[in-house]
Amino acid sequence: MYNSKWLALCHYWVAFVVFLPAAILGAWQMLMRSPLPAPLDDPNLYYTSVTLHGTAMAYVVTTFFAMGFGYAVTATSLGRPIKGATAAWIGFFICLIGTLMAVAAILSGKASVLYTFYPPLLGSAWYYSGAFLLVGGSMIWVVLMVVNMAAWKRDNPDRPVPLAMFATTATALLWTWAASGVELELIGIVLPRAFGLTVDMDAGLARMLFSVTLHAIVYFWLMPAYIAFYTLVPQVAGGRLYSDTMGRVTFIMFLLFSVPVGIHHLLADPEIGIGFKYLQSFLTFLVALPTLLTVFSICASLEIAGRHRGGQGLLGWIAALPWREPMILAVGLSLIMLGLGGGGGLINMSYGMNSLIHNTAWIPAHFHLMFGGAVVIMYFAIAYEMWPRITGKPLRSKRLARWQLWLWFWGMLITTIPWHITGLMGQPRRVAIFDFNDPLLAPMVSLAILSVIGGFILLLSAILLVTILVRSQIGKIELPEPLSYALAVNPPVRVPKSLNGFALWNAILLMFMIVEYGYPIGQFFILKSSVPVFEMTRQSTAAGAR
Amino acid sequence: MPNKIAFSPDNPWPRIGWGSFASLVLMSTLFGFVILSRYQENSETLSLFDAICRAVGIPIRNLQAESAAPTLRVPTDLAWTRVTLDQIRAGNVQRGEFIALNCAACHEGSTANPSHLIPTLNGMEAEVIFKQLADYRSRKRLWGVMEAIAQALTIQDSADVAAYFSSRTGQLQANLPGRVPEGGRAFRQSDPAARLAFAGDQQRGIPPCSACHGPGGFRLGAPPLTGQYAAYIERQLASFGQGIRNNDIYEQMRAIARQLTPEEMKAVAEFYGSPAPELRTANN
Repeated sequence: MYNSKWLALCHYWVAFVVFLPAAILGAWQMLMRSPLPAPLDDPNLYYTSVTLHGTAMAYVVTTFFAMGFGYAVTATSLGRPIKGATAAWIGFFICLIGTLMAVAAILSGKASVLYTFYPPLLGSAWYYSGAFLLVGGSMIWVVLMVVNMAAWKRDNPDRPVPLAMFATTATALLWTWAASGVELELIGIVLPRAFGLTVDMDAGLARMLFSVTLHAIVYFWLMPAYIAFYTLVPQVAGGRLYSDTMGRVTFIMFLLFSVPVGIHHLLADPEIGIGFKYLQSFLTFLVALPTLLTVFSICASLEIAGRHRGGQGLLGWIAALPWREPMILAVGLSLIMLGLGGGGGLINMSYGMNSLIHNTAWIPAHFHLMFGGAVVIMYFAIAYEMWPRITGKPLRSKRLARWQLWLWFWGMLITTIPWHITGLMGQPRRVAIFDFNDPLLAPMVSLAILSVIGGFILLLSAILLVTILVRSQIGKIELPEPLSYALAVNPPVRVPKSLNGFALWNAILLMFMIVEYGYPIGQFFILKSSVPVFEMTRQSTAAGAR
Repeated sequence: MPNKIAFSPDNPWPRIGWGSFASLVLMSTLFGFVILSRYQENSETLSLFDAICRAVGIPIRNLQAESAAPTLRVPTDLAWTRVTLDQIRAGNVQRGEFIALNCAACHEGSTANPSHLIPTLNGMEAEVIFKQLADYRSRKRLWGVMEAIAQALTIQDSADVAAYFSSRTGQLQANLPGRVPEGGRAFRQSDPAARLAFAGDQQRGIPPCSACHGPGGFRLGAPPLTGQYAAYIERQLASFGQGIRNNDIYEQMRAIARQLTPEEMKAVAEFYGSPAPELRTANN
């Protein structure tokens, strides 16, 4: 793994060290929202906890994991050391400092603004600065991915970029586009107010800019899982990738269709015209295309592997797959959750149906099933695949790993399915306490308790994950096999320029952004919709008083 | 040569990419801006121009038949804009202290306020005092002598006196973001006043008082109540309930007080007026 070993390991460890306490908070939050008695029964603490859980899981775990995975893939798929390892370490520490700042601010109770920090809520400047450093630091990673791919292309002019590297660069570019929204929001609106340079905040503009990030960031989280689907799964299964071109087209489509669609998170916002809501909902539906392509492609690759291993008949290849491998088990469980969650997602993005579930418990249930379930279970499998390669020590043990994956799968289903149902019954999200004696809420009691049980199964699984990783880390050194990526059935010899780089697709995405976001963002410079803030750190507006 | 691949004639992707882009944008624009925005349920079919305006989000002239609208009643002339907040921020405590000599007779002297129908102001939010003075000045709130006093004060004077009172510490407990003091879930409160204060009443759509008036919650323009005279709070609740006082911006106090029984008004007023020891300490 050349010089990426320690880089990848440190990034992964930050991700998983943050993951465990955040999982504990999650379980406690489920308990808090339920009719059962909870320790530290305090609504304010609940919002602090939600902020910390969301920030840790959505920003810290994912960013560090994606960066670590990117470095490992760059070195192994290109077969040479990473260029700019020093810069990578600088980026790592910037992100780490940002994380510590944000966490400290949340723990002080002065930044309970939830991880979306929608204005006019205003928390401590430390929180926003920390978030900004985290996102900004990851941009160093973006640059390094692009630089490494470009340098390899220069040195190997007549070989196509390996699919794993191509997809990783797509992830990096996607993150650049995605993060631009939240970066502009922080620099232009939130940080100036947090530092006291302005008086009020434009809540509408801030929400609009955040929507640029809010959906695309989900695909940034998703990409490591998809990269594993295409490049690691067929290899572990002992087969070949069905189509290299299909992989490239999929990642290009993710880049194009995940960014100019964020307004479907704002379908209830009044200041956006229905035309733009329609436009972006329309494009959101197209995200289903690369997802379906992937499901098809992975199933085909697995079928190739299964038949190669002696599977017969219409479905016999499924039984012939090496289900004892954590990676194969994870992909099976992941696809089930992806199917359930994807169906829910189609409802969220529909202008009409969205109003049934907008701001209800359905929403957190949906993204926990999709991200916490389908994606994160692949993160685990990637970690199990990478750990022996990085540390030189075998995984201890595959059996425990399978237990961990099964627990995560059932925990996630038991948590999120009742959660979806209470959402349909009208339970709002982001509410700390419910009066379950109320006749309207009484039917939700058993569902809420079921979710709590799921939450604790998830916590158990999270503890098991860290146990396995620590046990493997302190084990005896053995010579591991090198990490290798799946070959395609027809390995690419020459690919068209446009499937070997991103210039064309960035240009098209830029045009999409101008069409889809130009007016919706621009209108705020005429609307003047600034409002006074609601400070979570209360300060007197009378100068010198108190 | 990198360009050998680049310019190979079998690169149909720019054509595919731009072609898909153009057709997707065209199709979605046609549907979103021309067709779907014209024909909306429960709404007349619009002209093409109006349909595009609606799709873009520009308000169009209401095409419904005009009906007689009730005369507009504005609860207050003040809005929480940047200008207002700047005016309040400009308050000077020293000048305010001088102006406040006029207030002390009623708001501090117990002889002029034997039944405690006049509120105490020490520790009151500056924004609250400023808004009430503005409402008295514009006769949106009526209380005999206060209109005349407010009209005698300039905007700067109001800000000064507001800054002065908010800088003082007195029996009012400042609305700092504290933990909800009683810890446990407010719904399980046995005391009906505490239940109203911390949980409200969902079935009547009454939000908890503490969400805006503290302890724990805060909302711009809502006075802190912990430590206020119970008689004053009760009188104001009754006034809101009967519509005698109507300077609450979104009518929320009228909507809430209308649904409270006289017993509940009294209980909530006493709850805030003579707070239990833990309620006092929670805010210190």
